[in-house]
Amino acid sequence: MSRVTKPSFRRRLFAGFLAASLIPLLACSAMLLQIFRLRLAGDAERETAEQLDLVSRSLDGAFGAFTQAAERLQGNPIIAEALTGRAEEDTLVNNELFNATREARSYGAFALYDLQGVRRYSTRRDPLEERLSPEWGALYAASEEGEPPRFTACEDAADTAGPLLQGAARLRDGMGRPVGYLLISLYYDDFRQLLEDKYGAQNELILLSAHWRPVYCGQPALAETLAPRLRSRLLAGRSLDDPEEGFQYAAARHEASGLNLILRRPQTFTGETMRLLYTVSFGCAVVCVALSVLMSFKLSGQMFRPIQRLRQGIGEVEHNNLDVCVPAEREDELGELARRFNEMVEALKRNQEALVANQRELNQAQIRMLQAQLNPHFLCNTLDTMKWISKINKVPQVAVMSTNLADILRFCISPEEFVPLGRETEILERYIEIQKIRMSGAFAFHLDVPERLRDCLIPKMILQPLVENAVLHGLEGVEDGAVEVTAREEAGMLRITVRDNGSGLPPDLAVGRYHSRGPAGKHLGLYNVNTILTKYYGDGCGLFLENERSGAAVTAALPVRRREEETC
Amino acid sequence: MRRKRLAAALCALLMLAGCGAEAPETAACAPAEEDRLVIYTSHKEEVYWPIVKEFEQRTGIWVDVVAGGTNELLERVRAEADHPAADVMFGGGVESLASYRDCFAPYACGEAEEIQARFRDGEDLWTPFSALPVVLVYNTKLMRPGQVTGWRDLLDPALRGRIAFADPAVSGSGFTALGTFLLAVDGEEEALLQAFAENLAGRQLEGSGEVLGAVAGGGALVGVTLEETALKRIAAGDDVALVYPEEGTSCVPDASALIRGAAHEENARAFLDFTVSEAVQRLLAEQFCRRSVRGDVEPAGELPALEDVPLVDYDVERASGRRDGLLMTWAFYLEEKEGT
Repeated sequence: MSRVTKPSFRRRLFAGFLAASLIPLLACSAMLLQIFRLRLAGDAERETAEQLDLVSRSLDGAFGAFTQAAERLQGNPIIAEALTGRAEEDTLVNNELFNATREARSYGAFALYDLQGVRRYSTRRDPLEERLSPEWGALYAASEEGEPPRFTACEDAADTAGPLLQGAARLRDGMGRPVGYLLISLYYDDFRQLLEDKYGAQNELILLSAHWRPVYCGQPALAETLAPRLRSRLLAGRSLDDPEEGFQYAAARHEASGLNLILRRPQTFTGETMRLLYTVSFGCAVVCVALSVLMSFKLSGQMFRPIQRLRQGIGEVEHNNLDVCVPAEREDELGELARRFNEMVEALKRNQEALVANQRELNQAQIRMLQAQLNPHFLCNTLDTMKWISKINKVPQVAVMSTNLADILRFCISPEEFVPLGRETEILERYIEIQKIRMSGAFAFHLDVPERLRDCLIPKMILQPLVENAVLHGLEGVEDGAVEVTAREEAGMLRITVRDNGSGLPPDLAVGRYHSRGPAGKHLGLYNVNTILTKYYGDGCGLFLENERSGAAVTAALPVRRREEETC
Repeated sequence: MRRKRLAAALCALLMLAGCGAEAPETAACAPAEEDRLVIYTSHKEEVYWPIVKEFEQRTGIWVDVVAGGTNELLERVRAEADHPAADVMFGGGVESLASYRDCFAPYACGEAEEIQARFRDGEDLWTPFSALPVVLVYNTKLMRPGQVTGWRDLLDPALRGRIAFADPAVSGSGFTALGTFLLAVDGEEEALLQAFAENLAGRQLEGSGEVLGAVAGGGALVGVTLEETALKRIAAGDDVALVYPEEGTSCVPDASALIRGAAHEENARAFLDFTVSEAVQRLLAEQFCRRSVRGDVEPAGELPALEDVPLVDYDVERASGRRDGLLMTWAFYLEEKEGT
């Protein structure tokens, strides 16, 4: 029993502890993780937006200066003269060009092309750009008067020597006739100077054209490999972020240049961080489980020991041992439980003792009542009086009978409950004398009591009813009736047997141990004697009936006791 | 019951911990479907990239380029015939395109009248891009000018085993060259094939790209290739010179074609128009050492006009019709040589 309940009790405790520790732990971990992640992502996004904004403003500054320079050169007569072929001082033209591009020159190279696409003047020398087709590329896309220069991406973003972005504006003279082009070229170094330090050391900035073709990247090689990937993701409608790359992208559009700014930043929440966090959470969970196991064992042990003791106590009580006492040293509910149990057991014990005492008193009262039935003093005195009257009147039988009857009555009303066997037999003989007179000596009486048993104590008046039974019922209708009373000691038991040579036991009495059917039966004498014997000496004593060859035998069995022993 | 609830709670927690990443707003940057174009191209990046870039710049159409080998891409077009992924096949010799006629839709480009008639297809199934005459090249350090003048010199035993020639079964230009050789040189076809195979001594190159390398490196004295390829290497400064065979050569163009059932047909047409526009054709002539297919764009530099180059009457349809037979005969003689 205990092996089944104990583990299950423990299991429940364990489950309880586990739930109470693991759920809050997991909830906290998940919440922290989520807050951490959201917070980091939010910070990173804000930072990215700020950086993109900074980049955007830097570009604004540069492209604003470009537009301003283009406006200054528009309609300039000296420039117009120079580009349409009429000779001008080179220095004069260059002065105009340098003057017009004074703020913008640090952002890029400026060159003036004539209508045939031949470079005539420039702020920087680039041998590859001497001649451009007016029907192709930057010059073809040149903006008209009043518009800001239109920028086009160059072919090779990885070429750090060549221009990466070119913007052109068509120049006109005062009459509105086209005279040539202003070409603004931005090289790798220009971009780097403009944008470096604007977007964080860990991040990478990639400038893409309106069609997401590469224009510039801090690492030129990256522009070539990354731009096509980003473009294909965009065209496929996917997110720019690829979880396997470990980077996140943010995009913004720069309106003045038509460029797309892509900021690549390392993933804030890499797989490694996640793994670390998961490992920590898992470790905490393992500790929790271990603690739960430990606590459940400890607590269930603590709780179970008092319960076990209580259970043993209950078992003792079930087996009628009311002397148990469960230790109740604890001050908690289990201690109280033990204390109450002890109190209950004590109360039960008191109750039972009271009940037994009660019963004994009742029994004694019953015996006294039985004796009282035969106890009228006045009968004795009357009988004495009758004896004297009969002696005076010379009726000896009446004198003998009344003397005997008075002795018997006196014996009956004497206060002692136990008498020596010798005295009992004396009274019995008196009774027989009376009966012989009554029945005209129709039966023989034989008494066989050894001398050493004569001082054995027996309850008073137990033999008389047995002999009366034998005389009145046993010898009824028998010619030479005889009644014999013998006393023997067998194994510490005194056995007094009353035999008759009559017709045997009546059919309503069974052979063997006498079983009382209550005082309402016919054999009131047998009942009373048996009751007295069993009440005094316990269930082992009482009357035993048997049928012998000639008549019935009733044996009273009781322990051998003598005067000096009777001190209980 | 309790356990189920517990499990549900745990699941919810894990999900809470697991999700959270959201896609950035890039959808706004992506072009609408009608602003897109998908091109399959067998041109090298240096050719297609400026053209595609300029096209995007001028039209605002977003071009998605898939580059690959001619035959590979044409096979893909055929495989995708039911649901074409591409809109335009950009590049590939007309002979190759002719084998995949079913995959293309006819389109007469905007400035068709400017294109020389000899390059145009009767059904306008393709739009010619550039004219590519077959030429002979030789190593200028190892041979004197005038030593090689025509196809017949390829049969000269002095050059035996030192001719760079691309496998006609693999290379489109190799096949055109073989066909041109047979047309240009007088004689019985079988004998000519046998003699040429004999003089190659069983050696042919895996692709046309290797021809110039072999000649410039001195591994071969003479090679057969396309004018454009030769001019590029000459411009790059290799010790190579080119010769237009005196018996005459062929000038088969490469072309672009509108794919049947293209999803972005309007844009595809705009692109085809653009490939033959004067600007692009001029770019071809000036930057890519190619001959324009337009009548009004002169070849750049000292390149002779096509009228001054002796030409044979090379019929593309006929050549592609007898392609398999010719290749088998060629393989037969070549393997015979290899065996000995």
